[in-house]
Amino acid sequence: MLDATNKLLYGLVLRDAPFVIAAYAVLWLALAGYVTVTLRRLIKLDKEVKLLEDAVKARTKAE
Amino acid sequence: MPYEDRVLKRTSGLGGSGDGSTDPPSLGRPVTPARPKISSWRQFKAILRKDIVMELRTKEMITSMGLYALLVLIIYYVALSQAGSNFDVSRISAGLLLLAIVFTSMLGLNRSLVHEQDQGQLDALLLSPIDRPILFFGKAVTNLIFLLIVQVIITPLFYFIFMGNADTAAMGPLWMVALALLLGSIGIASVGTLLATMSVNTKGKDFVLAVIFIPLMFPLLLAVVTALNAVVLGNPDMTSVFWRFTGIAFGYDVITTVIAFALYEFILGV
Amino acid sequence: MKRSLRWALILAVLGGLLTTLAFVGAFTYARVQTFSTTVNVPNAVARKAVKAGFPAGDAATQMAAPPGTVAVHKPWFSQKIFFFHVPIAVASLVVMTIAAIFSLLFLIKRKKSYDTRAKVAMEATLVFIIGTMISGDLWTRASWGVWWEWEPRLTTYAILTLLVIAYFVLRNSVEDEERRATYGAVFALFAWVDVPITFMITRMMPSQHPALTGLETSNLIPFMIGMAGMSMLGFAIYELRFNEEHLRERLAALKEDLEG
Repeated sequence: MLDATNKLLYGLVLRDAPFVIAAYAVLWLALAGYVTVTLRRLIKLDKEVKLLEDAVKARTKAE
Repeated sequence: MPYEDRVLKRTSGLGGSGDGSTDPPSLGRPVTPARPKISSWRQFKAILRKDIVMELRTKEMITSMGLYALLVLIIYYVALSQAGSNFDVSRISAGLLLLAIVFTSMLGLNRSLVHEQDQGQLDALLLSPIDRPILFFGKAVTNLIFLLIVQVIITPLFYFIFMGNADTAAMGPLWMVALALLLGSIGIASVGTLLATMSVNTKGKDFVLAVIFIPLMFPLLLAVVTALNAVVLGNPDMTSVFWRFTGIAFGYDVITTVIAFALYEFILGV
Repeated sequence: MKRSLRWALILAVLGGLLTTLAFVGAFTYARVQTFSTTVNVPNAVARKAVKAGFPAGDAATQMAAPPGTVAVHKPWFSQKIFFFHVPIAVASLVVMTIAAIFSLLFLIKRKKSYDTRAKVAMEATLVFIIGTMISGDLWTRASWGVWWEWEPRLTTYAILTLLVIAYFVLRNSVEDEERRATYGAVFALFAWVDVPITFMITRMMPSQHPALTGLETSNLIPFMIGMAGMSMLGFAIYELRFNEEHLRERLAALKEDLEG
């Protein structure tokens, strides 16, 4: 549902387009990247904690 | 597993209160035993006297700050040496003067608190029956005094070195310059005392002071430069611009001094 | 999986979806805004343009237009950045306020978790501030033709950026845990003073930066969707990071346990 005004707009001013595209692209990539990196670290940490928790449990049982 | 929420215990400035018994664990303000009350004014005078007597003996603060300011002026001369004879220095003189003052004050603030740190003076002060709010004002006022002494030296020096040939017929009265510089110094001294007390306890010391000091000072510096510039150039709208921006500087001083005063207690003895 | 973590993930996905929806809406549903400057277009297109909502220029501009063309108001393409830039800017101020609140709570209650929360919120603030700065800079370049302008809003926001960076410089420079937390909290409270100033400044003094007033509905809807999405994203980032810090502490405690 691209309306007529928008269509005209794209024909008229593509001068500003690189800046608008860059602004959205950079923001989107930055946010997505940050969330992904945090999530990956989180999952890794979670695994480590589980591993250590098991180790502690095993040791207390052995004692 | 529930999140273990630890309460960070506030230890005294002497590196751990030996008997945890008197300290409530959460707030942990060292309980001051009953002592004869000394008036606030006398406490304040005592701190001031300590710093001034020390300065009179060593003359360290004034010489280091004064010399540093002089060196900054010499660098200005180098920077402006190729500007040509028809370059009007008075247009940028307000900014140049304030820049010298800011650099000098950062050096001075750092020195003044490093002193306290090195010789264990701050710990001794915390042990003494001095009220903590007084401690803030004592330190801030000493810093202000040193800052003003250095300014009294370098402002005329700046004038003679750089503005000897400038057209100063339109320049406003001297008290306006003094008032703008005084308001600038008050803000620098009060916020600077709080920030320098923190920065001397960090690894980065003077670098950290610069990083936390300059952004917080920005509004004040801008207001003071605008007011000073109006006086130096003596434009027709000088008085209105001057009062508007000294008003902003004054407001900044009041607000930041209140905040710095309120927050100073927290950073003592951690 | 912890419940707060699951919520954080749901909010992250939802926030991502909503901001994407706002993005699509900004380019399709939102009506194009115009400038006061005019552009000359051929007659055939012009009729359509005027019908579509670009106001025709006044008599003087029509006289100046070459034969066979009509002057119409120039569409403001760079305004489309607004649908992302403003939500992320508002979110940065909100998250910083949360950081200041937790800093104050830390100073009163002196609980470690408050300090962690304040730090994590400040980190989210930094991410959002960088996003605001980048999108804002590209907008000033497209709209004003310069990369940077010492203008009240831009100046106060730049100061805010420096303050948030300084907060982390200060923290990283202190080794003792309690001292780091206290200094960070004190500085965060001091730095927060700039938040209301930044927000109010375009309303208090003459500023080139547009202030948010009287948005038309077709623009308002994508904007509100963007705001909602960005707030969720902000909260999600904050929760994720807090969970991570918590796991880190847990790990350290377990390691100590195993060794001791």
